[in-house]
Amino acid sequence: MAEQRSIIDSSARPSLLIMMLRENWFYILVVVLLIAFPFIVGALTESSPYGVPRGDRMIMRGESVRWQSVLIEVYILAILTMSYNLIFGFTGVISFGHAMFFGLGGYILGLSVEYVAIDNGLGVGVGLLVGLVAGVLICGLLGLLVGFVSLRLRGVYFTIFTLAIAEMFYIYFSRWRVTNAEDGFALTDLPTWLDPTQNRLNFYYIALILFVFTFLFIRRIVNSPTGAVFKAIRENEDRAQSIGYNTLRYKLISITIAGMLAAVAGMLQILLNKKVGPEILGVAYTVDPLLMTIIGGIGTFNGPVIGSAGLHLLDVFLRDSTIIVFGSVVEISTIWNLLLGIIFIVVVIIFPHGIVGTWARWRARRQTASKALRAGRAPDTRLSQS
Amino acid sequence: MKSQHYSIYAIILIIIGLLIVAYFSSNGNMGTFGITIMSGLFQGMLLFLVASGLSIIFGLMDILNFAQGSYFMLGAYVAYDLQHPGGAMSLTEIIPDPNLRFPVAVIIAVLIGGLLGVILERGLLRPLYARPIFQLVLTFGVSLVFLEVIKFIWTTTPYSWTEVFGVRENFFELFGQRFSTYRLFVIGIGAALIIGIALLLQRTRIGIIIRAGVEDSGMVEALGINVRAVFTLVFTLGCAVAALGGAIAAPFLGASPTIGTTFLIQAIAVVVLGGMGSYAGTAVGSVMVGLAISVAQSAAIGTDFSALPSITPMLLLIVILLIRPSGLFGGTTRSS
Amino acid sequence: MTNTTPAVENILEVRDIHTFIGQFHILEGVSVFVPKGSITVLLGRNGAGKTTTLKSIMGITPPSQGSITFEGVPLVGKRPYTVAQMGVGYVPEHRAIFKNLTVLENLQLSQRTGNDLARKEELIFELFPDLKRLIQLPGGNLSGGQQQMLAIARALVPDNRLLLIDEPSEGLAPVIIEQLMSAISRLSGQASVLLVEQNFRVASKLADRFVIIDDGSSPVTGLMHDLVKDEAMIHRYLGVA
Repeated sequence: MAEQRSIIDSSARPSLLIMMLRENWFYILVVVLLIAFPFIVGALTESSPYGVPRGDRMIMRGESVRWQSVLIEVYILAILTMSYNLIFGFTGVISFGHAMFFGLGGYILGLSVEYVAIDNGLGVGVGLLVGLVAGVLICGLLGLLVGFVSLRLRGVYFTIFTLAIAEMFYIYFSRWRVTNAEDGFALTDLPTWLDPTQNRLNFYYIALILFVFTFLFIRRIVNSPTGAVFKAIRENEDRAQSIGYNTLRYKLISITIAGMLAAVAGMLQILLNKKVGPEILGVAYTVDPLLMTIIGGIGTFNGPVIGSAGLHLLDVFLRDSTIIVFGSVVEISTIWNLLLGIIFIVVVIIFPHGIVGTWARWRARRQTASKALRAGRAPDTRLSQS
Repeated sequence: MKSQHYSIYAIILIIIGLLIVAYFSSNGNMGTFGITIMSGLFQGMLLFLVASGLSIIFGLMDILNFAQGSYFMLGAYVAYDLQHPGGAMSLTEIIPDPNLRFPVAVIIAVLIGGLLGVILERGLLRPLYARPIFQLVLTFGVSLVFLEVIKFIWTTTPYSWTEVFGVRENFFELFGQRFSTYRLFVIGIGAALIIGIALLLQRTRIGIIIRAGVEDSGMVEALGINVRAVFTLVFTLGCAVAALGGAIAAPFLGASPTIGTTFLIQAIAVVVLGGMGSYAGTAVGSVMVGLAISVAQSAAIGTDFSALPSITPMLLLIVILLIRPSGLFGGTTRSS
Repeated sequence: MTNTTPAVENILEVRDIHTFIGQFHILEGVSVFVPKGSITVLLGRNGAGKTTTLKSIMGITPPSQGSITFEGVPLVGKRPYTVAQMGVGYVPEHRAIFKNLTVLENLQLSQRTGNDLARKEELIFELFPDLKRLIQLPGGNLSGGQQQMLAIARALVPDNRLLLIDEPSEGLAPVIIEQLMSAISRLSGQASVLLVEQNFRVASKLADRFVIIDDGSSPVTGLMHDLVKDEAMIHRYLGVA
């Protein structure tokens, strides 16, 4: 009797693993494609994903290698944008200084590798490890401090504060003799397995792993009770407070995590370029995630990814094209930021929920309409939610 | 109100402190001291032209207009271009006399600033009244677009003012130092505007409407006043005055793509220091921040802190936010 | 047949309005009729929707369904300043006078033509004599009761024919409330009044008609002198009498 029952039970309910696979089939497919990507491109363009051998080293030449770089840049941007989305999209707090986490993370890793480890003969590996841990912790701490000082005040003060601090970091590092001021410094000696100029495929997979990790991590947080509080704060902070939540604490958690993730993105960036310079603290790294979060869709999971991927790929494709303006030929690369700004304004006014958000609402609207039609009523297309 | 007394003492103390530092850093030389003060007032008046719009717009419409610095920069570029030969819109052919050309250039810069201000407010901001988060983000986006358009039209190379005209070249002597009459002229315009706007706010009907609107714009509308039209008017004037600032600053500061951000951050420091939405606070704050920057510049000469003047406004901002975020004359700053 | 009273036209007709605030369905079919020259009061518990009804009339939280007409002219879809200019004066909860403006400036602000205040001065100072000596003081220096008087006086400056007054007695001492009540009943000669009043004693003395707002609807309406005799109704909709 006991055996019969257990057979019936297990066949009636599919295992947890299969359920998870079914729900996330799209994401799994995408990840598999991304894993295979270097080889797919390699096959299509007849180039090797490992680069071209020259003597006893590999040189990074060929289409596959080039496209790996493009995607690595997308992953870095996506991690940065997802981290920004955590505070902006999910918690409703606007920061205009996100670049400080990105840049500071990069600088700390760079300093740890070049100046601390190498100068003291401790070995690059130690430098990397220390830099990684120190960078993440320091940036998390910075987020905590900045938030603690200014998140108790009206939202606009936090925005101003982050702008001022980020600008200050930028100016300071632009003039600091130790890091060569404006010129910055190069990462001279990276281990072969990590060095993107010798082994881009490895770096590609490292970046991919971090990208997927960030995506899953953020999704986990947002779908947890903590994340529910984030969303409550975004909707109506007063109400969240009156229910009894210490909204300051949750906002601080949000910004600390975001700061740490942005630091990781910054570290990947300096490793990719093998260079550390004040430009990583520049306003571009605040503007880009902001733009891409909005264009992709605030407060969605896929939004930042689609926004960053879409825009970066568009940038790469259009980089060498030209258009005709007022009778003269203009290179797209020179007006790229202008185009971005215009797209941004259009999205803010017309599609404030971004690509993913607008599509989701359109789908929801059609569902309620068809439900109503089925029930024999005229569809009320007005969403009861704003 | 004790809080007001505290503020006035703080202002007096800070200004005295700045004057002392200025005196010592000029090594007792009255001429250098005078230059520092005048330079500080010059900077302060320019800041007032940007900050006054920022403050009133924020108080009335609850929008932090990030594009305010862009209008300043626009005013500088337009005035520069009109005055100098060979640019996109030079007036050199039409008005050969540089002394006459300059005021015309300034007026045109102001008009263009005002026009773009109306377009921005009515076209882009009005649809977003119901979504304040997006308004902030929008003005930020607009400031980026402005910057890119300016870089596109005029390239990223900074322009130094080369056209000679009367007022700009004159000097007067005091304490063995030559002071520029033009700085005095700018200080005069700034002071005139401070007084003029104060009179407008206190004595006219539109001034009463604005002061009431800063407190509660919803109630003003419930009294039968078209508050949205007032928003547009105030916003436009704010942008026009910022453009005026850039235009009259140009003969000394030239035109470059970075002045927008620089003045914006300084103006934000002024507005936070003075108290958001407080007119008196903005006026006093402008003078204080201007002086502080000038004193920092003179104190930093020859020392290792060459970055100090550039980060002075941010340091000020940070200190204020830590100690007294409502500023000298401001209202509540709590998040709920 | 009951006593015939001559049909009085309604200055305000609110028919079956639905109002949403965000995603919340606050008013689910409210109807209110205010006869010309009367003082009508909206009664009901906290959160029932009385203030939202006034705001919907004023256009501050416009209804998504239903109709509102003032002197026959539809109000829905008009911005609050247009509604005000048509002759509707709004005195919100918590006074909403401008604390940084003087009493004089507060009154000047509500003028719609240049000589409104000059014409109405006498009436206003007759109803609220205190305001005369406070005329140059900033609104923030006034006591709660004085602020309330200023708020109502402000609504009298232009030629408003309908006054929407929200909880005038809230937070005020009984002596002040008495003064207010006498002022409000005297000004009903000038304008019709739609009142929201939580204090039933005040409401019953001032108003001749009532509308009960309960949970977003308006189940009962009628003459005040009928309601005061109906303890069961009072208890049911207003909690403790």
